[in-house]
Amino acid sequence: MAVTTTPAFELDKICMHYGYLTVLDEVSVRVAPGEVLALLGDNGAGKSTVLKVMSGAHQPTSGTIRVQGIEHDFHSPRRASEAGVEMVYQDLALVDAMDITSNLMLGRERMSKGLRGLLGFVDLRAMRREAQRELDALGIRTAPVTRPVEMLSSGQRQIVAIARAAARLPDRGVLLMDEPTAALGHEQTELVEELIRTMAARGIAVVLVTHNLPLVMNVADRIVVLNRGRKVADIETSRTDSDRVVSWIIGAGVQEDMAG
Amino acid sequence: MAVTIKSPNVHDGTPPHRLPGRVRALVLVRDQGLTALLVLLVALFSVWASPYFFTVPTGVSILNAAAITAIFAAGLGVGVMTGVLDLSVPGTAVLAGVVMAKSVKSGVPVSLAILAGLAVGVALGVVNGLIVIKGMNPLIVTIAMLAISSGLALIVAGGYDIGGLSQLEFLGTRHYLGIPAPVWVTLALFGVLIVFLRYTRGGHRLLAVGGNAEAARRVGIRISLYRVLGFTICALCAAVGGIVSDAYVQIGSPSASVGTIFSALTAVALAGVPFSGGRGSLSRVLLGAIVLSTISTGLLLANVQTYWSSVATGVLLLGAVALNRWTTRTSLRLLLVSTSDRKAS
Repeated sequence: MAVTTTPAFELDKICMHYGYLTVLDEVSVRVAPGEVLALLGDNGAGKSTVLKVMSGAHQPTSGTIRVQGIEHDFHSPRRASEAGVEMVYQDLALVDAMDITSNLMLGRERMSKGLRGLLGFVDLRAMRREAQRELDALGIRTAPVTRPVEMLSSGQRQIVAIARAAARLPDRGVLLMDEPTAALGHEQTELVEELIRTMAARGIAVVLVTHNLPLVMNVADRIVVLNRGRKVADIETSRTDSDRVVSWIIGAGVQEDMAG
Repeated sequence: MAVTIKSPNVHDGTPPHRLPGRVRALVLVRDQGLTALLVLLVALFSVWASPYFFTVPTGVSILNAAAITAIFAAGLGVGVMTGVLDLSVPGTAVLAGVVMAKSVKSGVPVSLAILAGLAVGVALGVVNGLIVIKGMNPLIVTIAMLAISSGLALIVAGGYDIGGLSQLEFLGTRHYLGIPAPVWVTLALFGVLIVFLRYTRGGHRLLAVGGNAEAARRVGIRISLYRVLGFTICALCAAVGGIVSDAYVQIGSPSASVGTIFSALTAVALAGVPFSGGRGSLSRVLLGAIVLSTISTGLLLANVQTYWSSVATGVLLLGAVALNRWTTRTSLRLLLVSTSDRKAS
């Protein structure tokens, strides 16, 4: 991927203090449109905090956030969402009893035309068509869109959650994913991998927080490693290997040629 | 990248897209078990309580007896699906009834009096909701509201029944096309609520908030608004129930009968509406209320001591809950071993 364009998403010298405790120390992260960035680090390294800053759940003590080059102040996840940043949470946040359509369209239902619409009626057919179109666009063919989410496997549920976030993104949006494969088996992980590639190919910038190193080596274009709140590596996946990544994660080294 | 859009056929019938046969059978048992039970009960009593049971008048009186329970059950059902359990229903019902009765007695037109009663219901529901969204326990809040509203009802009525409400005959004992008015009210109420839940945005969001409030919040739905709406619908149904039952006896009684809420909750539970919220079928809640009144009427006509109907209802309820649990668990287990993920490029 060409990284010469404006970054889709940029954290610039983000600091985060909890009282005297420094959780993030001048962390800068850039993601280009269509790039898959893996954010790695041991427990407590600060990667979840970075993700929370990115999604608007936490406000940084200092530093700037830019989306498509424009500075933003995320007071809430809603602001982030409005700026084109969506998050797939680890708990997926699906409504089990509802079908795939309702879950995908929740919060942006299609209303009927005319009087029925004014009375609050939704156009179920249009919603199903729309949901199907969104799934098709991502190449997803898991189950009929009328199937309740509780009747899906964990892999299918993960895919529905990702599709829901992706469908809400504008062109060249940013998708944050927290441990997308934590609950999945090998085959299902491959499905998610493929989906991540499809989304990147459509110009979505993907930020992936995970402990799954093989997944990272397979799908990530670039790897950022955090250790004790500092960025210790920021490198193209093709220029490194898992052993070195692991040594950065456990704090046994710092990338030699890393700038700032 | 070239994106291939497949034909947008939702009901893609290829085998891997369909649920396994056994799962579909279990879902059928879960969804239609209550209908089967009703048919069985009718068949049983038709033989047992022959020749009195299987007649049109008995059918009508069963429906009529089910009506009031069903009206309360509709509100409680919607409440439970939204994730709120409103115990103040009997209090709301008597206060609405008494306000209506008092208005009729003081010369207010009947239609306005009924509207006043309904307004009382809406107001109580909104108050319930507004208090609960401040973070207080809904059970305790609604118990408190039960005490307050039933006390207020006694105060408004001066402690006595308000009798002689003959103007309300049209809503109580009169028949239209051979069907008593309370049954029509029940059908209309259920019709409106079923359409609301299934086809409107408000209904969808209400169920989403009941099913997973956090998920609803994250997609930007104002969950407190829908909590209040859930309480309001519940209280409005309670007010309708109170008004219709007062119209039926033509007396505005100020004493809350707490028992009504339990038979209504029994109907809700029989319908398999889980108290964890987010799902359930209102048409089955109606069936549940009909099953309850079929049992009591049937046993009565079969000359069984009426106390047994309470025992039978309890046993039935336990059976229904056990069946529901079994079908849900078994179908999930079957799905976990049989569903394979598929993703075509």
